[in-house]
Amino acid sequence: MIELGGIAPRPRWSLRLTASAAAAVLVMGLLAGKLAQLQITDGEHLAALAQANTVRHVVLEADRGIIYDRHGVALVQNSPMSSLAVVPAGLPSDGGDRTRELVELAHVSGVAEPKLAAELLTAPDPFGAITLKTNLSQAEYLALSERLPELPGVSLPQRSVRTYVDPMVFGHVLGYVGPIDSSQVRQLEAAGYQPDELVGKVGVEAGLESLLRGTDGWADVEVDARGQVVKVLATQPAVAGDAVYLTLDAGLQKATAAALAAGLARDDKEAGASVVIDPRTGEVLAMVSLPGYDTNLFTHGISQADYDRLLKDPQKPLLNRAIAGQYAPGSTFKMVTATAGLQEGKITAQTLLSCPPYINVNGWIYHNWASYSLGWMNVAKALATSCDTFFYQVAAMVGDVTLARYARAYGFGQAKGIEMPGVMPGLVPDRIWKQLACGVPDLNSDACRWSEGDTITFGIGQSYLLTTPLNQAVYVAAVANGGRVLRPTLVHLVSDAGHVVSKQQTEVTGTVPASADNIQAVREGMREEINRPYNMNYWFRAAGVPADGGGKTGTAQWGGSGLDLPTHAWFVFFAPYAQPELSLSVFVERGELSEVEAAPIGVDIMKFYRDNVGSIRA
Amino acid sequence: MSRVDRLQPLVAFMLATLGVMTVFSARADWVRQIAWVLLGAAAYITAARFDYRRLRPTAPALYGGMLLLLVAVRLVGHSALGARRWLAVAGFPLEPSELSKLLLVVVLAAYLSRQERLSWRTFGGALGLVAAPAALVISQPDLGTTLVLLAVAVGMLFLAGARPVQLASLAALAITAVPLLPHLLYGYQRRRLEIFLDPGQDPLGAGYNLLQARIAVGSGGLFGRGWLHGLQGQLGFVPERSTDFVFATFAEEFGLLGSLVLLTLFGVLLVRLLRTATVASDRFGELLAGGTFCVVLVQVVENVGMNIGILPIAGIPLPLISYGGSATITTLAALGLVQSVMLRRRTVVYQEHTSPSGAFRATCGPSPLRTRGRAY
Repeated sequence: MIELGGIAPRPRWSLRLTASAAAAVLVMGLLAGKLAQLQITDGEHLAALAQANTVRHVVLEADRGIIYDRHGVALVQNSPMSSLAVVPAGLPSDGGDRTRELVELAHVSGVAEPKLAAELLTAPDPFGAITLKTNLSQAEYLALSERLPELPGVSLPQRSVRTYVDPMVFGHVLGYVGPIDSSQVRQLEAAGYQPDELVGKVGVEAGLESLLRGTDGWADVEVDARGQVVKVLATQPAVAGDAVYLTLDAGLQKATAAALAAGLARDDKEAGASVVIDPRTGEVLAMVSLPGYDTNLFTHGISQADYDRLLKDPQKPLLNRAIAGQYAPGSTFKMVTATAGLQEGKITAQTLLSCPPYINVNGWIYHNWASYSLGWMNVAKALATSCDTFFYQVAAMVGDVTLARYARAYGFGQAKGIEMPGVMPGLVPDRIWKQLACGVPDLNSDACRWSEGDTITFGIGQSYLLTTPLNQAVYVAAVANGGRVLRPTLVHLVSDAGHVVSKQQTEVTGTVPASADNIQAVREGMREEINRPYNMNYWFRAAGVPADGGGKTGTAQWGGSGLDLPTHAWFVFFAPYAQPELSLSVFVERGELSEVEAAPIGVDIMKFYRDNVGSIRA
Repeated sequence: MSRVDRLQPLVAFMLATLGVMTVFSARADWVRQIAWVLLGAAAYITAARFDYRRLRPTAPALYGGMLLLLVAVRLVGHSALGARRWLAVAGFPLEPSELSKLLLVVVLAAYLSRQERLSWRTFGGALGLVAAPAALVISQPDLGTTLVLLAVAVGMLFLAGARPVQLASLAALAITAVPLLPHLLYGYQRRRLEIFLDPGQDPLGAGYNLLQARIAVGSGGLFGRGWLHGLQGQLGFVPERSTDFVFATFAEEFGLLGSLVLLTLFGVLLVRLLRTATVASDRFGELLAGGTFCVVLVQVVENVGMNIGILPIAGIPLPLISYGGSATITTLAALGLVQSVMLRRRTVVYQEHTSPSGAFRATCGPSPLRTRGRAY
């Protein structure tokens, strides 16, 4: 028997085996159908979801420009600050592990665990990072970064924050940055700002926002399920903001703040301001407003308690009095009245007028500061002795309309175009203003009508006149430089990555319509004032500096009319007399005696300037 | 003409290759997976050369061994993800519940092949046989494998010729068991079921897995993102991307076309298994092939089904694709056993008799117990 080999018989497909094969094919077909629906019909939508899962558009924050003083002393730093952030989708999927991690995060962030869990697990975008705590301490950062591998979903992003140098001295000038206000959001987002970006709020941080803000970069990155960056797909580097060199002299600024603080302390005063300007250029060399406040509180995360304290402080530390404090100028205004009288031909430099203890205008008595007659005097002597009754007479001769014109020509009532927001104009009153501002429905009533008394008190810087320490400094600079009203500026130069972009040019915003001789007559009066052997000159001698220049004190009444009103003390000054390079204003809120309270502060500033900054020599 | 079913191991090899590629892409230990496939190939050859008919008498011992392993895993097993499933055997992790799928097929095939038409007694006996391992597996807890065991048992009863009334009574039993289900399930199993019914209720937990798998599958589109270029799988958004959700990883990278190829390969494999059943020389062999068909079918359907969101999540591997030694080796061993059935099928043997008449006489009958020569 030889076996030839076997061949298979026809397979016997029983009914059940056939049914099973059919069932298998059918089920595979069903799976294929569902697959086709997912991958073809829903494919695009699901692919987009995958893309959203894995590709993130990250904004690379540009470094904000550094602010320096005119000599390159940095006034602000960008310092790194870490925060604690969590991507909810990155949390462990196992319930136990998740709870353990949430408990730990609750401990670090100080948020109660149930609240934290609710916040994280109901987040509208589970793939977006949620910041739990900002401003981690170095110890917290180190402890957390070590534990990071065991805390899925957690990251410690770093952000640079502004740290201001000596904020109590420079704070009002520099200001600070903060989150965008809801009122600004729309406008700034149109300008390309991120909703969580920090923007300059006050001071030059706000005024120079467009220079200091860099151009943010971006990167499209691929992240894995734990939120770690796997690959950078495309990137555009950030461009840092410009470096800005302010006109401030840091040393002079500190000396000004110290002199002002010492002067206020000497006389139990709380608030004041001082502005120092170069009368040749309008550059602001120092600008101080006291009390100051710690601007770093705002950039490093201010507590509600600290913020409330600042808001409720009766001394209003958040108010930058140098640019936004509006007060009557008092006797410091007399140079305007003198200029108007001389230029309008009502008096000459030699004209003698009497200085009685009071004058009577339509039955109203207007007093001089002295209760006795100071005799006959010319305009220089009148400025030196600050005779009120002399200037009542001049004001009456010139008239309110002309006086207002000269006041405006000196820059009164004008919001100066300095590089920060919140600059107040002060006020130059006139007949129409009074009618509108009197607050009585009948505009023709006595209260609304400009009176002769309004005119003559206008002449000594009272009436309704208001000015600011900045306006005062610009005004005295105009007297010093022969009548040029300069735009005060804080920007010395702007530098982009080491290249000077722009250098500030001197800008003359107006010229006082007065002859050189007439302005010289006014300057002469200011020189006489500080050279009076008693009182004023004492401070120069005490400080060991020559009284080379011109000054004027002013004790301005406020809060209505009458004899025993509260006062503010002023001192304006320029030096040296021949070629002025320094002009300043000093303001002491509630100061009672300007020669004693305000003038010594100005002399101290001048002394520091002479010894450390300028070319004034004995 | 050879007795060997060449198509079946070819398809299995193609599937295992796709499996290793996907495991590699999913950043799992692909070297190990190759080792498992090679070990599985050895098991395949051994099983194919082994005469399956000699297994039948050992069925009671195999059953006992299966129960012992499952008890052992309860007592000394290692746990992962909250379930005791692993036994350390000579330093290698062994998952007895994977092995139990194959052993149950052998045991039931042996038990059910005794009768051509199932008596109620045999029917009940078969249910009793599956009840014990099912109870042990569900207590691990491993709901998925339990359901596979039950489904395989039902499939084999059907193939063994259970009467319609018997199958109907089984269905009735299942329906009455449904209200009891919540009490039988562990917390997380109940949760999975709830989330399957409403995936939105836990987008970060179990629903997250479901959602991410769906996103991965869908984002594959028609042609896929390309091997090693998946986003969801590569970046870890797909959970268990090399095991339970390996199909999502595959479908993202190979797209609808690749998925259809995969399903077609499974379809061919399944039909080949049934074809072996149609040619088996005895009822035991027929049920072995049929039971293996059931094991593969149930797992493919459940795994792909949960990956595309039409079935609840259960920890079931995709045969020959998912990373894992126990499952890969067991599946290949089972296929080898079916090949053994193929090799020893009914044949028409032509024998030349030097008879006086000089005529050929064809005899038809089972092939001899031992094959002559090498099978391949």
